[in-house]
Amino acid sequence: MVKSEAKPWFQQPPASSTDFGWNWRRPTGCPPQPAPSRLWRLLLCLVVLPVVVGCGSQSEFPSQPIVLICPWSPGGGTDRVSRQVASQLSQSLGVPVNVVNATGGGGVTGHTRGAVARPDGYTLTMATVELNMLHWRGLTTISPDDFEPLALCNRDAAAIFVRSDSPWQTLADLESKIAKEPGKLRASGSARGSIWHVALAGWLLEQGLPADATAWVSINGSGPSLQELLAGGVELICCSVPEARGLLTGGELRCLGVMADSRHPLAPNVPTFREAGCDWALGGWRGLMLPLGVPKERATVIREAVLETVKSDAFARFMETAGFNLTIGNPDAFEQLLTTFDTAFGEIFATAEIDAVSESPIGPYGFPFILGGIGAGLLLLLVGRGQLQLQTDAPRLTYRDLFRLLLVPVAIVFFMLTTETLGFVIAATAMLLGLLLVVRVRPLTATVVTLLLVPAVYQFFAVQLGVPLPWGILGW
Amino acid sequence: MTDALITAAAEVFGRSDIWLIVLAAAVYGVFVGAVPGLTATMAVALFVPMAAWLDPVAAMAAIVTMVACAIFAGDIPTTLLRIPGTPASAAYADDAYAFAQRGEADRPLGAALLCSVAGGVFGAVMLMLLGSQLARVAAVFSVAESFWLYLLGLTSAVLVSRGSTTKALLALVIGLLLSTVGLSAVHVEARFAFGRPELYQGISFIPAMIGLFGLSEVIRNLASGTASTDQPKPQAALLSGRLLTSLKNTLAAGIGQLRRRPRQTLRSGSIGVVIGMLPGAGADIAAWISMAVSKRLAGNHRTNQPASSSLDQISDATAANNAAVAGSWIPALVFGIPGDSVTAIVIGVLLMKNITPGPQVFVDQPEMVFSIYLVFLLANLMLLPVGLLAVQLGGVLLRVPRAILLPVIVLFCVTGAYALNGSLFDVGVMLAMGIVGFLLERRGVPLGPVVLGIILGGPLEERFIQSLTAGGGLIGLINRPVAAGLAAVCGLLWLTLGRSLTRRPA
Repeated sequence: MVKSEAKPWFQQPPASSTDFGWNWRRPTGCPPQPAPSRLWRLLLCLVVLPVVVGCGSQSEFPSQPIVLICPWSPGGGTDRVSRQVASQLSQSLGVPVNVVNATGGGGVTGHTRGAVARPDGYTLTMATVELNMLHWRGLTTISPDDFEPLALCNRDAAAIFVRSDSPWQTLADLESKIAKEPGKLRASGSARGSIWHVALAGWLLEQGLPADATAWVSINGSGPSLQELLAGGVELICCSVPEARGLLTGGELRCLGVMADSRHPLAPNVPTFREAGCDWALGGWRGLMLPLGVPKERATVIREAVLETVKSDAFARFMETAGFNLTIGNPDAFEQLLTTFDTAFGEIFATAEIDAVSESPIGPYGFPFILGGIGAGLLLLLVGRGQLQLQTDAPRLTYRDLFRLLLVPVAIVFFMLTTETLGFVIAATAMLLGLLLVVRVRPLTATVVTLLLVPAVYQFFAVQLGVPLPWGILGW
Repeated sequence: MTDALITAAAEVFGRSDIWLIVLAAAVYGVFVGAVPGLTATMAVALFVPMAAWLDPVAAMAAIVTMVACAIFAGDIPTTLLRIPGTPASAAYADDAYAFAQRGEADRPLGAALLCSVAGGVFGAVMLMLLGSQLARVAAVFSVAESFWLYLLGLTSAVLVSRGSTTKALLALVIGLLLSTVGLSAVHVEARFAFGRPELYQGISFIPAMIGLFGLSEVIRNLASGTASTDQPKPQAALLSGRLLTSLKNTLAAGIGQLRRRPRQTLRSGSIGVVIGMLPGAGADIAAWISMAVSKRLAGNHRTNQPASSSLDQISDATAANNAAVAGSWIPALVFGIPGDSVTAIVIGVLLMKNITPGPQVFVDQPEMVFSIYLVFLLANLMLLPVGLLAVQLGGVLLRVPRAILLPVIVLFCVTGAYALNGSLFDVGVMLAMGIVGFLLERRGVPLGPVVLGIILGGPLEERFIQSLTAGGGLIGLINRPVAAGLAAVCGLLWLTLGRSLTRRPA
């Protein structure tokens, strides 16, 4: 569509600011068109757009897709529970419920996004026990106080596993080994400071042993930790029973005890810690929450739908086959649980022993420091040899080139700034149309391309794939 | 055992609904894999609610097909637009794009398709014959071995990149440094986050990859004006709209490549299976290492390699990354330990169907295990026709005028980066990386090592510190036989690297 014989647009005489964007772009040779007709076309596209995309009525709640934030990655336990809840919720509420995996930062990212989300009732969070822990570890200021609890749906107790060829048959065997040779055994189950680490350290403290009587190898996730146990890199694992299910039923692992009030259905022969004579129980929980400040009527609608979901038979069946412990709590009970856990973790994290455990052989800035050194060395080497010259096919940039170079960044920054308020469709339309016009695509072509493509992309991502794109004031 | 195999074969091949599901999943997988920012993991996770309605064999068939097709489909935008659809394609993004710039996009795509199918079939056969034995091998891999494997992968990324080794090394260090942003898993401390919660999650590699390769190319094109000569050209056959000729060309390119080097394809398949089954490794590292092996054994490294050797490397890398998909199922099936996020979802789906993956399932439900193996075969065979059509459809992209295509690519880059995590911060990362990529390329710094550095930086540091904790000091890195062996290989590679570092290129 670009006429090669046309003068590049930047060589055109500078246009006055009022007609910027209308006249200078017209390819030479095209008959001038009256401006109103183009304006009219643009207006038309703004009118057509909502019809193409589909405009939801705003009168009743919910009328838009709901986002369920899962702070952990796809495939994990929390993700599976989230997706089950989402599919049941969308049936009872009649709108799509999309799971967004806001992962990273050991749970900080997802919980923070859930707490600071627009309190319009369209964002739910599948919170996990880390919400009780992260603020004590000084990683975030977000705490359970920033949420309105809706329903507790699961509690899974920690358990201790060893390889089935290991010499320890009972919890007492293991304890006496640890007491005899503190620091000898290596344990894992998840990252440092995670719920399973705290559960193990808490048990040791309860037994009058120092929390670092076992060396904690910080490995992200229970799967890789179990792999490490098989490879002989660690001697014991602390994680939940469902996470170790495959190896446990296959006879590769032995479970020594479950940190719960009652025995686990997947391991009915394994005693609880209380039965083994140790007053210690700890585990994780998962539950649904809303950010604070959601209008009362909306919160009620969501709460009732959520409670109906978690109390349904379908959900109970899912939890049973997945091996998760189903523990349902109404908002009040959930609130109470959160308070109890928060106080307990406050005490555990206040003990000096846990802090001592958190030390690692190389400090957090050791690795970046070494890398920085190597990088600087390489740079010096390259500059010294004069190898960092511009490539032959990359000419020196003139100011005009710089201006053209900034087009894309400016367009993207514009999108980032406006999409949350205007919504994806309007922001993307503006960005695409703007870019097309600036690179001198004819306005008609540009408009047609934009009008076809943006709704198609929206359809594909937001409707077909269920990936939520930002919706703005107009609802799309 | 034979009974179980026959039951499984009847179950998989005899049911027309399985064929239909596999076909639908293949189309879905190709779409998702071809759109940058959408990953195989996301495709599978979105499918899980639907899996509830299917029987176990059908559900597994759908998942296996989706993943196999998505990994291949990642090669299509890689070749045509230089936007790697999946991280496994980033290894050969520049090489494949160079073909498109010469108007020969069907050569790398044909080779990638046929080698993907070959690698996938090989992986399925290995899974079937040696699955349980290989799992025992995987079980000796502790954190120390993983550390060396990651280092091996990173070294390969430096080895395979074109041009100066020093610059490739610099690119790697940049990637590794970027990976240290965010919450460090082993230290529980936020580094370079400046108190911003968004930065706690660190720099996700998918937006970074889209930015480094895709957006930087758009910026470069816009900066040099639409008159630049090195933009991808459609192939002659496609230009004239002869679909059948074009189909035949693609197929011929792939078959020729396979027939010319069957042994190398098997070698790459083996590398893929072995690396895929190791915890935390997977298709991306497999592609890089296989490419490095291909390059070392071919003998002619460094600059000005002829196109055919570049094509060979692409073939080997694609064979390896599809074989790795099968490999990653080995620990998942045999031990119930997920090697990556896809197999984690698979375990969830199996549990939903009252099948507990682990040693016991081989005894209790052997026909289920055989069905999964056979489904792998079926999925990779289905990839051939669907992939072939997808390549032709993708080729149409090159007929779109450049002035229209570039802004549209920007739209897809932005949407893809956003879709990954539903976060505008990722769009920002994509933009920043696009500018970084543009600046680096102007000075001849390759981008592949940056991507692998971002992917592997975190795990590398973690495994290093874990080895020190678990092994009582630096000795923990080499006091296990396999670890020592891998360390020796790494040491040798670094010696050759060191030689080319000190040698001043002409």
